[in-house]
Amino acid sequence: MNHFDEMTALLYLEQQLDAAHTQEVRAHVGECRECRSLLRALELEGVWLRQSLEADDESVPAHLVQAPEADGTPWGWLSALGLSAGGAYTMWSGFIEPWRAQAAQSGFTQGNILTMLFFSGAFWKGWDAMRSLTEFLAVATLGVVVIWLLRRHLRRVTTLAVVMGAMLMALAFAPAGQAAEVKHGDPNYTLPAGETIHTDLFVFGDSSTIDGDVEGDVVSWSRSLTINGHVKGDVLAFSQTIRVNGPVGGNVRVFCQSLFLENEVSRNVMAWAGDLTLNEKSKIGGSLTVGSGDAELNGELTGDLIAGTGDLAINGILDRNSLIHAGKLVIGPKAEIKGQVKYEGRKQPEVSPSAKLGSPIAVTIEKRSSDRSYSSPHFYVHQILLWGASFVFGLAMLILMPGFFFDAAGACKRTMPAIGFGALFLIALPILAVIICATIVGIGVGIATLMFWVVAIYAAHVIVGTWLGDRLLGETIGVGPALGRMALGLLILRVIGIVPYLGVWFSSLVVCLGLGAIVLAIYRNMRPHLATAPAA
Amino acid sequence: MERGKTTGEMSAAELADVLTQVRAGDSDAWGELYGQYAPAIFRFCRRALPTREDAEDATTEIFMKVRQKLGTYDASRPFTAWLYKVASNHCWDLLRRRRIRQDLETGDLETLPLEHPDPDQLAQLQTEHDSKHVRAGLAKMPDRARMALVLRYYSDMSYDEIADTLGVRRAFVGVLLLRARHQLRDILAEGSGGMRSATAGGKA
Repeated sequence: MNHFDEMTALLYLEQQLDAAHTQEVRAHVGECRECRSLLRALELEGVWLRQSLEADDESVPAHLVQAPEADGTPWGWLSALGLSAGGAYTMWSGFIEPWRAQAAQSGFTQGNILTMLFFSGAFWKGWDAMRSLTEFLAVATLGVVVIWLLRRHLRRVTTLAVVMGAMLMALAFAPAGQAAEVKHGDPNYTLPAGETIHTDLFVFGDSSTIDGDVEGDVVSWSRSLTINGHVKGDVLAFSQTIRVNGPVGGNVRVFCQSLFLENEVSRNVMAWAGDLTLNEKSKIGGSLTVGSGDAELNGELTGDLIAGTGDLAINGILDRNSLIHAGKLVIGPKAEIKGQVKYEGRKQPEVSPSAKLGSPIAVTIEKRSSDRSYSSPHFYVHQILLWGASFVFGLAMLILMPGFFFDAAGACKRTMPAIGFGALFLIALPILAVIICATIVGIGVGIATLMFWVVAIYAAHVIVGTWLGDRLLGETIGVGPALGRMALGLLILRVIGIVPYLGVWFSSLVVCLGLGAIVLAIYRNMRPHLATAPAA
Repeated sequence: MERGKTTGEMSAAELADVLTQVRAGDSDAWGELYGQYAPAIFRFCRRALPTREDAEDATTEIFMKVRQKLGTYDASRPFTAWLYKVASNHCWDLLRRRRIRQDLETGDLETLPLEHPDPDQLAQLQTEHDSKHVRAGLAKMPDRARMALVLRYYSDMSYDEIADTLGVRRAFVGVLLLRARHQLRDILAEGSGGMRSATAGGKA
């Protein structure tokens, strides 16, 4: 017999050869030193592999020592639900309730028991409480996310020591590296006229008035902010009422209930506000992006206008193009619009005969959402198209990131934690994005975060649909069966989603579940993918 | 077949008694069964899956599955064999669902490594690398190769059981194991300064 190969040697050692072949190998080994040597090396390798695999060099995690209860209540989703409730309260009291109150003043007086209980009673403590809650929520959310990401590593004393040490260092060195004035704790802060702040100014107060000049940016979180001085940088503000009476050299980006602009802003204005008023003296050097309840534009706008508003009244000068989505558009007699205007709304625009228009307004009248008819074939065609869009989106996810896709669908099994985390992120992520915009990294990261949030909400249906399909038809492997299950699941979700009243609640639950599953899958994929490094 | 590695052995009679109680819904008995076998299953998962976190999650999920499927267990067969079968199927499903594109790996199964190892260098490789190195090397291996080594050399599964778990023909299990050994040798050799010749130098 010739020398045998490594495969034959392995099968011989593992007693997988038939009797005749075994006898042949045995006879050859007796005569051939070279093959005997190979056989011995492979045999030792087998022993070495077994010993290495059996070596018990890791402890069993403490939480695996106790049997898991099927209905156990992990801390994660409990705290997530608690924070979600906090976030929902903050959002309601900070944004929805003021709008509701405004609507009540306008004649829409349908109060409800929830509002009376929570916001007219003991829980409602006004804007101060709201500010504290928001700050608490922001810090708590960041804290929970950090702890959640590090939770496994926190068991190690060294990691804990490093984290705590880093926090202490950060606290110790923060004041030395701070290139900004921070005003916090004074409920009525005023920067006197004649005084100049040469860096950025951060103001946290009930009422803040800036009569002096600021050479950097102004970042404010106050109930009321009034700027009478000159701000050479940007204005970033979260307030109930903001009045900008002095000139601003940079951009104005605000999130407020009422914004009054009465002077020149050299660059762009972006405002999310209940009411926006640009008086006749105001002038914006760049573009204006506004999302508001009502808006009056009486000043001059050099750049483009992008507006999504309730009622919009234009009685000033618009030098460039406008894209307007409004409940109602009124163009007054003093209006002078040099660019093109595209308007979408439910009513025809009212245009004064004295207004000067560079070109006719392109008008698109929307149909009311209540116009949808369950008896119309178009409605069902539309639903099928929406189903198809979700399916194509899911197909793209499956092809581009199959591992993540299945991880996320699998994470839906942990229903309660997923719903808890989903609810938390549904509420906390946009708040976090706004905070990022203002204070941490910048508006780009904040907007990217918001876009991720929107895409994740859409993807949530696809993930839950796939999981639902798996539940109904059983789990399987491969792209084809997965697509079939996703198609079925999405169809069921869409059918239930169009049921009046129930559909809205059901879709909300699906979004929470899917979003939570995505978060859990992201967490799984963020974890290190290799075992502990070998010892040196 | 040796499946051992449990903490504080339970006699066959005790095990049968505990299983009966678990089936009757006794949570204390379930706790006892879990405490007996969870460490072993965690260690198995730790070797079969790439990260410790994966192993922790998988252990919990496997025992959830065991509790659900206990009614299908045939008491005439060894419980540990059934348990390891459930565990290995779960781990392999998990890996496959994460990386469905690696289904294509099956096509390479018939390709045998052409170079034989030099016995001296193979011995040197074993001398230079302890169990930690091997475990770290395992984590870097392709899923199927890692699973094959773990099922064979840790769980002592037969070729038939490995073929069934990994969804390959029995005739290819040997090839799979040999390829896995070569991959592990290469990973370890690279880690110790490019001793690539650990898999070369022998007869062609």
